[in-house]
Amino acid sequence: MEKTTCIIVGAGPAGSACALSLARKGIETVLLERGRTPGEKNVSSFVLFIKELKRLVPECMDELELERNIVRSDQIILSDDDVKTITSFNYKHIRNPVTFSAFRRKFDAWFAKKASMAGAELITGMTVTDLIIDNGRVIGVKVGDEELYADVVVGADGYHSKVAERSGLNPVLDPGQCLLSVKEVLNLPAEVINDRFQLTDGLGAELGLWNYDVNNFKSGTGTLYTNTDSISIAAFASVADLKNKNMKLHAYLEKFKQHPYINALIKDGTLREYQAHILSNGGRIAPEKLYGDGVLLCGEAGAIMDTMSGMGVPTCIVSGMMAAETIEMAVKKRDFSAGTLKNYLKYLDSTSLLDMVYESSKVGEYWDGAGKDEMPDDIKAVADCYNKWWDVDYMSKDYYPLMANLFFKIGKHFMPKILRWPLGAAIKITSLYSKTCEKIKSKIRSRYYEWKKQYDG
Amino acid sequence: MSGKNNMTVDEKMATVKIKIDKEAHITVKKEFCKKCTTRTCLIICTAENYKWDEERVELIFNYEGCLECGACRLICPEGAIDWSYPKQGCGVKFRFG
Ligand SMILES: Cc1cc2nc3c(=O)[nH]c(=O)nc-3n(C[C@H](O)[C@H](O)[C@H](O)COP(=O)(O)OP(=O)(O)OC[C@H]3O[C@@H](n4cnc5c(N)ncnc54)[C@H](O)[C@@H]3O)c2cc1C
Repeated sequence: MEKTTCIIVGAGPAGSACALSLARKGIETVLLERGRTPGEKNVSSFVLFIKELKRLVPECMDELELERNIVRSDQIILSDDDVKTITSFNYKHIRNPVTFSAFRRKFDAWFAKKASMAGAELITGMTVTDLIIDNGRVIGVKVGDEELYADVVVGADGYHSKVAERSGLNPVLDPGQCLLSVKEVLNLPAEVINDRFQLTDGLGAELGLWNYDVNNFKSGTGTLYTNTDSISIAAFASVADLKNKNMKLHAYLEKFKQHPYINALIKDGTLREYQAHILSNGGRIAPEKLYGDGVLLCGEAGAIMDTMSGMGVPTCIVSGMMAAETIEMAVKKRDFSAGTLKNYLKYLDSTSLLDMVYESSKVGEYWDGAGKDEMPDDIKAVADCYNKWWDVDYMSKDYYPLMANLFFKIGKHFMPKILRWPLGAAIKITSLYSKTCEKIKSKIRSRYYEWKKQYDG
Repeated sequence: MSGKNNMTVDEKMATVKIKIDKEAHITVKKEFCKKCTTRTCLIICTAENYKWDEERVELIFNYEGCLECGACRLICPEGAIDWSYPKQGCGVKFRFG
């Protein structure tokens, strides 16, 4: 009987982040991926936010093969004879790039290789078909007839998660909780792209497409962005919505492509590849469903997804890192029960991830098609909300106020009098400063709720 | 590769690399489809793998040309579609996903 400490199912961003973190901690890890090469099964509209990745792999910028540094984001409301655009150009991100277009096939393969070089055992071409469960406790996985045992199994296997399904953590998927996407990659020479999008080599643009009405179907969205010598264009819509409105998503994408405004941008582009994928539209899994006896869910398997911005990759990476912290703790305690693995929530909570996911998941409701196929006319609101995500940092959370207060209250009794006053003042100032930060953050939050109300109204 | 507008889905699918599994990863209980009034699978599949054969009065599908999004599995009102990922290393291989 083959047994290891941790089996991770799925070498996407969540799985590889978890495997890399575990391997660095010296914990025996097996990473199973169904593709023959990591990434070949995966599709993103892929604008990669690099911040979270940089924490894990500081050298990533030197090693990754990226397409273009996305510095411009245009949010567009399309109608047959009108186009309303809000553009934001982020000069800051030329100096300090955070967003890139990239292909998953290269990105995922690189990331998984990083994990395997750090010591995780990566096995590709392995489709996990079931879990081995003993007395309600997950003790391993099945790959066809083969069985592999582990102290803990991490489900990082994306939307159609076998681990979530078979462990009972998320047994049934709801078509209202996911978006179908269809995407085309169109070849175009780099100079033509630079010309049409007013870019220079290496810099890229992204367009968010909203509210386009095709036969009364308006709840689809779209994205178009530049790669080095190709353009990717994708359409998204809730599966439930497409079903209710009898709409073919690929026909909807075709309409986007034929719109004169879009057509001028993609004209003469030849199809390089046609793709489809499904993604979660937000955190509908309750936190207590992210862990069980001998099992944890990360990334999209646990619906840890920032629906608001459509960003899954950074959030998935952070959740993989936090799962690794939890497993390290479990290894030290030699206890892999739900009671110990519950600490996953604490680790997630030490980042801003869960807050972010749950706030942003509310946006998912608008894609449910519960009669809300109107997007707000005020495109500015969309753009504002959208663009603020460029600066989101899923990892950080301010603990200053708490720590400072504690220190101030307890610590001062042990301090020589001369030191008390200046130190106290310094702490007060930092704490005030971070309180202001909190205030700003909560302002941003309330702006988001206002925006949400507009949606609702 | 084609630059023309309005390519058919079949033409688009020609750009996708797929290693065909000998075993089908999709099975359909076709007798259920006869009762089905919505036939959402025909709409949801971006590869247009599901078709209704009027003459034979049955659903025909082609698991080989599957993009593996899994949407069909979520929407079948009759629960007739059994969909899972293709086994070891088979199926779609995106190069620019
Ligand atoms: C069209 C589209 C556009 C998107 N655009 C963006 C974007 O611009 N920016 C962004 O940040 N996010 C984007 N996302 C979201 C992002 O792609 C996902 O949230 C993210 O990839 C999820 O990461 P993950 O590691 O949880 O799962 P995945 O990336 O889905 O990885 C899961 C891995 O598990 C493997 N697997 C699945 N089942 C099994 C099994 N049974 N056995 C073995 N292996 C298995 C899969 O092959 C895959 O490699 C987009 C998604 C889509 C579909």
